[in-house]
Amino acid sequence: MPINAESVEKEKKQGHRRDDSTDLALFVRTSQDDMTGWDRHRIVDALLRETYIDRDTAEKISIEVENTIQTGKVKTITGPLIREMVNAKLLEMGLESARRMHTRLGVPLYDVDNLLVQHNKENANVPHGPEATNLTLAEGIKKEYALLHVFTPDVADAHLRGDLHLHDLGFIDRPYCSGQSLEYIKKFGLNLPHALSAAKPAKHAEILLAHMVKFAAALQSHFAGAIGWDAVNLFYAPYLEELTDKQVHQLAQMLIYEFSQQAVARGGQAIFSDINIYWEVPKHFVDVPAIGPGGEYTGKTYGEYEKQAQRFAWALFEVYKEGDAQGRPFFFPKPLVHITEKLFKTEGHREFLNHICEVASVKGNTYFVFDRGETAKISECCRLSFKLEAQDIEDAKKPWKMRYSALQNVTINLPRLAYQAKGDDTMLFQLLTERIQLAAKAHEQKKKFIEKLMSMGTNGPLALLAMNHDGEAYLKLHKCSYLIGMVGLNELIKVHIGDELHQTEAAIKFGLKVIAHMNIVCNKMAEALDMKFVLEQTPAESTSFRFARLDMAHHRKDAEKVIQGNRETGEIYYSNSTLFNVGAQMSPISRVEREGLFHPLIEAGSITHLWLGEAQPDKEALANFVTNVFKHTQNDQIAFSPEFTCCLDCGKTSRGLVDNCPYCNSENVDGITRITGYFTKISSWNKGKLGELHDRYRNVNRFNN
Amino acid sequence: MRGEETYSYQDIPPILPPTHLPSCPTDCLPPIKGFLETSFVDWPGKLCAMIFVGGCNFRCPFCHNHPLVLTPKEMDSISFAEIQTRLTTRRKWLDGVCISGGEPTISPGLPAMIARLKAEGWAIKLDTNGSRPEVLAGLLKEGLLDMVAMDVKAPLVQKKYEACTGCQVELDKIRQSIELLKNSKIDHQFRITVLPRLHSEDDIRAWVEQLAGENSRLKIQNFNPRTTMDSLYEKESGFAPEIFSRLADMAATG
Amino acid sequence: MTLFTKEDCKLCDQIKKQFDLEAMEVQVEVLDSNNAGALAHLAWHGQVEAARKTLPILVLDDSSSVNDFPRIESHLIDRAASFGIDYRSSNNQAGCENGSCAMQ
Repeated sequence: MPINAESVEKEKKQGHRRDDSTDLALFVRTSQDDMTGWDRHRIVDALLRETYIDRDTAEKISIEVENTIQTGKVKTITGPLIREMVNAKLLEMGLESARRMHTRLGVPLYDVDNLLVQHNKENANVPHGPEATNLTLAEGIKKEYALLHVFTPDVADAHLRGDLHLHDLGFIDRPYCSGQSLEYIKKFGLNLPHALSAAKPAKHAEILLAHMVKFAAALQSHFAGAIGWDAVNLFYAPYLEELTDKQVHQLAQMLIYEFSQQAVARGGQAIFSDINIYWEVPKHFVDVPAIGPGGEYTGKTYGEYEKQAQRFAWALFEVYKEGDAQGRPFFFPKPLVHITEKLFKTEGHREFLNHICEVASVKGNTYFVFDRGETAKISECCRLSFKLEAQDIEDAKKPWKMRYSALQNVTINLPRLAYQAKGDDTMLFQLLTERIQLAAKAHEQKKKFIEKLMSMGTNGPLALLAMNHDGEAYLKLHKCSYLIGMVGLNELIKVHIGDELHQTEAAIKFGLKVIAHMNIVCNKMAEALDMKFVLEQTPAESTSFRFARLDMAHHRKDAEKVIQGNRETGEIYYSNSTLFNVGAQMSPISRVEREGLFHPLIEAGSITHLWLGEAQPDKEALANFVTNVFKHTQNDQIAFSPEFTCCLDCGKTSRGLVDNCPYCNSENVDGITRITGYFTKISSWNKGKLGELHDRYRNVNRFNN
Repeated sequence: MRGEETYSYQDIPPILPPTHLPSCPTDCLPPIKGFLETSFVDWPGKLCAMIFVGGCNFRCPFCHNHPLVLTPKEMDSISFAEIQTRLTTRRKWLDGVCISGGEPTISPGLPAMIARLKAEGWAIKLDTNGSRPEVLAGLLKEGLLDMVAMDVKAPLVQKKYEACTGCQVELDKIRQSIELLKNSKIDHQFRITVLPRLHSEDDIRAWVEQLAGENSRLKIQNFNPRTTMDSLYEKESGFAPEIFSRLADMAATG
Repeated sequence: MTLFTKEDCKLCDQIKKQFDLEAMEVQVEVLDSNNAGALAHLAWHGQVEAARKTLPILVLDDSSSVNDFPRIESHLIDRAASFGIDYRSSNNQAGCENGSCAMQ
């Protein structure tokens, strides 16, 4: 039964009064924007509707509350206050479960006042503005709702204590992220449930783009995280045959600007969007019949569109290389280029690699995703990628069926396990197992909740996800993944065996054992509960800060020995996921090799970040490096992150993080670099990430410092 | 244009004896004071390791690597054997090894070290200031180098050059090195680090004209004030970005 | 030397029957759903993806790995010879019919 926070007040709208109510000369100020007279029975009705207590108790409470109000001699009282007075009575009477059910969700005046003026830094992708504060307020209430009503107290408490972190609680009524191909809108047009108008399949490339952007925006308002698009350049290809190179370039420009400037929807956030790009035609699409203008089959297969797809891929990276009007890198959409065996056998791959490496060097946008062997992957959120399984390869013949989603992400605080295990291996692994079981329980509860919403079909709140154009709902619930992430492996190891991951081989070996254990327990839970639990490297943009802060509060003696960052300024953090100490002076080769050892155990995707600072590498040197990462390591994905300074006065962008604009010498500057999986302005970062930024090793020799 | 004042900025000391100086025979290897396993920026088109050799015969006031120049003895040395081991584990990754400094050519053991690396199959790039053409000639003659980057610090005018090197320079030797490279078959690059305090735009134009050649790459780098040999230069700045990009284009079109 | 195997893997069983691995000082790791240590060891050698395709895998003392069955056999034959230990030669053509010779 849902908690209806304002049901006491709504009741009076029905306008019936009962005779035995005391005739108090009292007005109740309600959240319905009106004032009504006092009626004790509204309390009784609410208690009977919302809790399991009996009528006599409810009557008794209402009379006691009425008496209290009478003796207080107030003239006007608010609905929320009445509710809290009732709650106080429930508490006095030891009716704790009834009190929980009757609780009210809301925000103190003081907090709202602060919120409207100060900047929320939990997610650096949220700007400050009316839409953003709307989002924060709504998220706040939904988060409380989730912790009280979706999750059981053991799960909610574990979250609040910081044993684990339930991500996106404010988006409790949405799945986490979504990956799809353009084929769905190419085939079915833009025909969304309850939309004011429906569009037939696009006939022109620009219209397809318009559909894509709007669909992405619609999806963004139904998912908490990223919206990913598979093989974008390939699926556009059938629309490009008539276009000149200049027109293709313009289309690429439109696509990137549209996504990077869409900061008008949810919370004023840009759509967290990924586009997957292939230079070759991926094997699983070669023989698939291509859909072209008007949603019709063109009579060719995608294998025959290689050149058009390449033309578009090339153009997209030309646009990334230019950057925006001020020379800044585009923050979204993130381009993920798949590096495969077939790429190296495809004509022009060397030039393409140099091209995307130049972008990596100049602007940093490129993500290099390594698909070794026969696995095909689709990448989604920050680092999330799914391996295509046998059934998916079958789906690939009907690419509009290729829709993937992770329903939720739960992250485990690893260092805390080490504090609690006190050096005992058995205890450590036992605790880790228990945490994963708890995470799995949290996933079951979220799943149940989303299933409930989805069961209402296109008349329910998730109508868009229930949309059915091809014989099944857009969201394939039975195929969803459930992510289990980790923060602070490096610090766990340091507490438990004394060294950090970059310091000794023993540390890495023990780290691998922890992650292997997580992998194995996930698989067992998956079998037991018939849900796909997979490990992922949590982006942990704010989680690594939150865990660090909570551990400094609750496990200070242990935590202060291992916590990273600057304790004096409060800029503290744990190392993300299985990443090594960001400040360790490791060569990029060692970093990709050693961090990469963990990647095959983390099936939903991993990444190694290489911080470039102001250095602008040679594109061919980078291309050689990328090729070697593919050939000689297990690393799943890499990105190079340069740093920029943009001047808020003259609007120009320069390389490196500097205090003064090199163009106009202004001090009014902001830095730009990757926070976790995406670029943002540094002024929006939380303290933990600022601490990390300071520590990042940028591969310079020590004389250059 | 800053006029004469620029060049009378300080009294130019006489040609310097190399600081670290090994009084050892030529098979004594140069003092290795730094190693960077992977550089993406030092060898065009290649991923290379960097070996930093201590000691220098110049005193460029804007030098960023000044501990290597002034106090190499106070810095820990890395044994050549360790470098060899580390390089061997990176055989699959690296396209070559770049030897930088300080000024490597003042170490008598440089040819021996390069020969040993070369024997292990490494492609070698040398960074030099060109003040020792006889060493450079020897290395070229033995076929020990695959690329050379030579810092030509100013147009070849005595006073201008010495303002940049912070010491007296035998310009003829610089000229000889330039000619050696221009006439060699190997890939080479002439580099200059520019800052308004030391270089006028005309200087840079003259520099480009003197060095441009079909087979030579030119690279103009903008000065970036960080830690510098002469602390006064930490208050200097490079060219404004708009001007610099025009200068850099000059080098590109040569 | 380490041999990575799993239960119910025909090729792994065959190797175990052919050679006295313990006497040859070959460490045998059995990958199963209770053995994080073996999986971690496999990951240390960078062989997780390889093991998902085929088992057994032999990791040599220089950390290089061998996935090809006949080559594993010949490495072990050499090893047995150097230890002076007898082994049985394989009598049938090695092959995994039901695809169970790979990590899940």
